[in-house]
Amino acid sequence: MTPFDTHTITQVFVAALIGGIIGLDRTALGQFMISQPVVAGPLTGWLLGDVTAGLVIGGTLELIWVLDMPIGTFVPADSTVTAVAATAIASLGSTTPGQLPVIGFCLLLTVAMVPVTMFADHLMRQRNARIPELAMTSSGQPTEASVTFWHLGGMVVFFLKAFLLCLVLVPAGLALVSGFLALPDAVHRAMSLFVALLPLLGAASVARKLSMKTLDRTLLVGFVIGAVSVQLFQAPELVAIMLAAGGGWMGMRFHGA
Amino acid sequence: MAHNAAVIRTMDLLGVFWRSFFIQASWSYDRMQSLGFAFALIPVLRRLYPDRELFTERLAVHMEYFNTQPYIASFVLGAAVKAEEDRASGRNAATDVVELKKTLMAPLGALGDSFFWGSLKPFAASAAVAVLLTGAWWAPLLFLVLYNIVHVGLRLSLVFVGYATAGDVVALMSRYRFTKLARRYKVLSLAIIGCIVGTVTAWGPEFRTDLSVSAPLLAAAGLALTLILITLLRAGASPVKLMIGLAAACLILAWGGFA
Repeated sequence: MTPFDTHTITQVFVAALIGGIIGLDRTALGQFMISQPVVAGPLTGWLLGDVTAGLVIGGTLELIWVLDMPIGTFVPADSTVTAVAATAIASLGSTTPGQLPVIGFCLLLTVAMVPVTMFADHLMRQRNARIPELAMTSSGQPTEASVTFWHLGGMVVFFLKAFLLCLVLVPAGLALVSGFLALPDAVHRAMSLFVALLPLLGAASVARKLSMKTLDRTLLVGFVIGAVSVQLFQAPELVAIMLAAGGGWMGMRFHGA
Repeated sequence: MAHNAAVIRTMDLLGVFWRSFFIQASWSYDRMQSLGFAFALIPVLRRLYPDRELFTERLAVHMEYFNTQPYIASFVLGAAVKAEEDRASGRNAATDVVELKKTLMAPLGALGDSFFWGSLKPFAASAAVAVLLTGAWWAPLLFLVLYNIVHVGLRLSLVFVGYATAGDVVALMSRYRFTKLARRYKVLSLAIIGCIVGTVTAWGPEFRTDLSVSAPLLAAAGLALTLILITLLRAGASPVKLMIGLAAACLILAWGGFA
């Protein structure tokens, strides 16, 4: 693949547009959670022609970052930009759709993206501090028009933040992917294994935040129900999930939660 | 002050509900949601204060510092509408709406963070990822449905409850029992997370390993690795560091011919 032909450059712009639009949902508009990796990843992948990459990246990043909460002035890692950028890099950088080693490498790249997104978010929110002053007219009083204009104008800043981040991160990632493709097969196999292990880190991240105990009883009940259902009774995974949820529900009733 | 007999209609509250989706459009460190709060109240203030000077004065009042959980802000918006209505009609001009907002925003913020961010979101995410790992393409839709039925439904009703109760938190808590619901979502999430680890052998082809070990052993190894990762996270390791560590471990395994 030639990393930066006209088609790729166009696709990078499309990816940046997707990032900018989906990024609005993260803070500025609605917060319907379209910006969560489990939605943003597959949506980006679908629009760029590689749904598998989006599903794998989105599902993996979702659990890892879901409990990184925006409380008070704390701005968490921008999992939206990382999911969109990683999916775009995987979609545009792979030689075939759903290429696991490339997907794994793109997931590893998100490690470097996290501090960049946090810094950009911090910078933007500092700049936004001027908006209430701008909404005041020359008489020192706000008007309906000035409040509406400057408040909604804030969304442009949020859009630009995600758009520009994707515009920088995706080409940088594509350059790295073209280097990665030339690496020995063992590195590729390592990245495939990395994809298989990351959901466990996601599971650990959620369990660590939701329970005070490492050996949480409900977690273990869910594990046993899941393992027994699929291994002993060959139950479909969806049935196993529902049984585990049912087990959790029964436990709640029993313990009066 | 000349009193205005205008009363708030359902349409006015629906207008506030619609505008509440934009409450964080200009979020900043200094005043956080202040401009968003004022923006959401504009149609109500316009209706209650036809006099331009009074309107501007009340709009400026609502541009004071405000920050709470963005969904639960709907309750405060409803309460502020009621306070403004009482003030404009002369029924209770003494109500200090700024004080009311200050009193409500911190405790409701903590409640909303814990309920929406800390329990509903991980529940919807755990269920969606569990389904996604089986290879189902509709997992993102499941996430959106599970989350938004509760989110949008509550956001709409909170505007009306805030207005009807004039910001009575006790009435809010007895009506919704957020703490109990949050605990239930957390327990369900943990059970589903456990199931994700337990069904490691049945994950979709993208998440399968080529390691030649039996299914029970693979599930046990998955649980052991999860517990190790939980322990490391408790010890202060960040997810980013653990991702790097896992990548390094995978490289060693692949180089050693184990993967």
